[in-house]
Amino acid sequence: MNNFIQIIIRKVGSLLATLLVMSFIIFMLVEIMPGDVAQMILGQSATEESVAALRESRGLNDPVLVRYGRWVVNVIQGDLGESIYMQGVTINSILWRRVGHSLILAFAAFILFVPLSIFFGVLAGVKEKTVTDSIISFFGLATMALPEFVSGVFLISIFAVQMKVFPIVSVIPIGESLFENLDIVILPALSITFVMFGYISRMQRSSMIIVMNSDYIRAATLKGMPRRYVIFRHALKNALLPTITIIGMNMGWLFGGLIVVETLFGFPGMGSLLMTAIKTRDVPLIEACVLLITVIYSVSTMITDLLYSYLNPRVRFAGGQR
Amino acid sequence: MKNTATFITCFMFFAALLPCPVFSSGQMENEQSDKTIVRIADNMPGLITPGVWNGQVFSLNSSVYDYLVSLDPETGELNPSLATSWRTDGGDRWEISLRKGVRFHDGTSFTADDVIFTLERTQDPSVGHSKKEDFSTVTKIEKIDEYTVAIYLDTVLPTFMYQMTDFNMAMLSSGYDYDKLGETAPMGTGPFKVESLISKESALLVKNEDYWEEGKPYIDELHIYFNSDVEVSLAMLLNDKVDIVPFITPVMVDRLKEEEELKVVIPYMDQRFISMAADRAPFEDNRVRLALKYAMDPQILARATTLTLHEGIEYSETPIMSALPQYSEIPYRKRDVEKAKQLLSEAGYPDGLTIELTYASDHVYNQNIAQTIKELAKDAGIEIILKGYPRDIYFAQYWLNVPLSLTTWGVRVDPSMLLRLAFVSDAPWNESKLAEPYLDELIDSISREVHNDKRQQLYDELQNYFYENGPLLNIQVPYLVAMKENIEGYEQPVTMLPVYKNVTVDQVSP
Repeated sequence: MNNFIQIIIRKVGSLLATLLVMSFIIFMLVEIMPGDVAQMILGQSATEESVAALRESRGLNDPVLVRYGRWVVNVIQGDLGESIYMQGVTINSILWRRVGHSLILAFAAFILFVPLSIFFGVLAGVKEKTVTDSIISFFGLATMALPEFVSGVFLISIFAVQMKVFPIVSVIPIGESLFENLDIVILPALSITFVMFGYISRMQRSSMIIVMNSDYIRAATLKGMPRRYVIFRHALKNALLPTITIIGMNMGWLFGGLIVVETLFGFPGMGSLLMTAIKTRDVPLIEACVLLITVIYSVSTMITDLLYSYLNPRVRFAGGQR
Repeated sequence: MKNTATFITCFMFFAALLPCPVFSSGQMENEQSDKTIVRIADNMPGLITPGVWNGQVFSLNSSVYDYLVSLDPETGELNPSLATSWRTDGGDRWEISLRKGVRFHDGTSFTADDVIFTLERTQDPSVGHSKKEDFSTVTKIEKIDEYTVAIYLDTVLPTFMYQMTDFNMAMLSSGYDYDKLGETAPMGTGPFKVESLISKESALLVKNEDYWEEGKPYIDELHIYFNSDVEVSLAMLLNDKVDIVPFITPVMVDRLKEEEELKVVIPYMDQRFISMAADRAPFEDNRVRLALKYAMDPQILARATTLTLHEGIEYSETPIMSALPQYSEIPYRKRDVEKAKQLLSEAGYPDGLTIELTYASDHVYNQNIAQTIKELAKDAGIEIILKGYPRDIYFAQYWLNVPLSLTTWGVRVDPSMLLRLAFVSDAPWNESKLAEPYLDELIDSISREVHNDKRQQLYDELQNYFYENGPLLNIQVPYLVAMKENIEGYEQPVTMLPVYKNVTVDQVSP
């Protein structure tokens, strides 16, 4: 157990260092983005005086390191700053509402693609080199090859335009909440499922084939155990390990990287917020969104590593010996 | 095995439940509501406080705020609004009578103090007001009584009141802290009040029951959705999520043609100025400017924007918009490639020349216009290299600094306002770098002239000058708004401010 605690401490330390370095990179990348924030905000009718007044009022004239230091200190205290447009509106009040929406979308996608992919991956692995395997593998390859904006348009055309069973755009009517409009989540979630299904089902298939050909499975079969029992009790447990890793590695993308899907469907989540922030050069909002996505990626990767270490004694002990 | 089966059953149940109408009760509630609601998908707002408002989200600002005067969309004449009357003695002193009984949304009365506050705010350096230059001519504002102000100018300006129609000249309350609250809780005397404002997402505006105009507005609520992508807005319209979508493109109009429940209106025209910098080679030589003009074909330019000349698009070589009464009918210059080549040769470019055309590529029409100009100019030996940039980069780094530019210009109701901004030697936005004493004097005379006939003669003279010597091509393109067929009374004059207080919804039509 001590070994495992050491692993946790090491991982958390590494996470904090990563976040600090990433915060600096994010800040600098936004800093060197082409275009002038004040000019962008004021538009074509901006005058020299108005641009200068805006830069001063938003603290944009301070040296870059001063602004970075101020930002980092505020972020550590939980203050992500104010939107450069909406003076008086904290980014916390904009961001977390959108994060909540993205979490619901991610959850909906998760409960769609995880069981589907695992189920069909297991089925393809067990029925290796049969027609079932070929169909599942072909479908997996096809969905994997389709970018989400293509599958999204395809889904919109079928389910929204032709069949009219789901809305074309995922907009929450004013005065209502996402919970009153859960149907707007379906098509974006299906679009994400299309992308993820191929990766996970193929991974599941491969590991299932390896496990099914291993000695202990052969022994269990020879002992006369029912096939279903062998598959679900003995094979699946071990065959899930690589799949869990892949799912874990993609959690960051699922919770924070859905920019294309959210923009395509007009879904009011963090991805579309980030896109808006980039388009309008809302620097503090870009920094907050990207930092949050980095945190989500880093934490989900760390949790996956820890989970893997916990589930796989070889990793755990190897880690301890070092 | 049992656990797996249970999990799969639960998953299938939840997946089947999601599209269930129980989860979508919101729409049903709306349908049952007695309120008349108009829903708009507008641009993503930048700053919205008048003075530094960048002209996005007209539906929000034009509904919350009022102006001293309004522009008649049909005649272009000034109508009383918060000002009931105005008069001038010679054009350098303006006396304005204000409407009594008008209240701001916070319950305070609108008085002369508010007019003085709004005008003085234009010169406040901490605000960075976009109308600072225009109102720098104001030397004194005198409060005659609670509802009368006198404005003194350092020059004769017969069209001064037209400046009050600018979208940044909304009347503000002297008792409200716009620096702190202007972006989050906009407050004016307009026909609608802000009920809620969700940053980067939406705004809910409700009818101002104390509005000064009896019986208006006709609708109860305005729901405004902010989208950074007009394609999403259009999808919302097609999916019955909104009723009005501004800023659509001609390509979208084609897509809407088969939608019987939708219509497209053109409230006003925008301008695209192709400006040749007259202070440097090669356009310092008028023969090169003329060569580019002779290489153009208005019909082809119109078709490039998917429109037809005189049916949605206009072309001229002067800064006066064709739809304005000050415009002089000048026949189009016939395309003459040989003459263009000859002029180039005489100017010292017998083998033609290469020049960059810089523009904001994310403004609607710009890419098509730029590409067409490039192709037309090529025949005359003018090789144009296109340099398109996002609008902020264009305006921050290139505009006013390049030999050939393509820029979007809004219409000024009084053309002399535009001339002073862009075509006099020391104009702040002199993109064509004109520095002609003759032209400076002519524009000054136009601005000061009190007699309409005489002023029109000066406008004619100016347009002839531009036709022969001007560094400008002016392509006028429509501003397109898509809406439901049952929306009536939508008006949007060239001030770009949509008037939602007159909008009604025909409940019989679909």
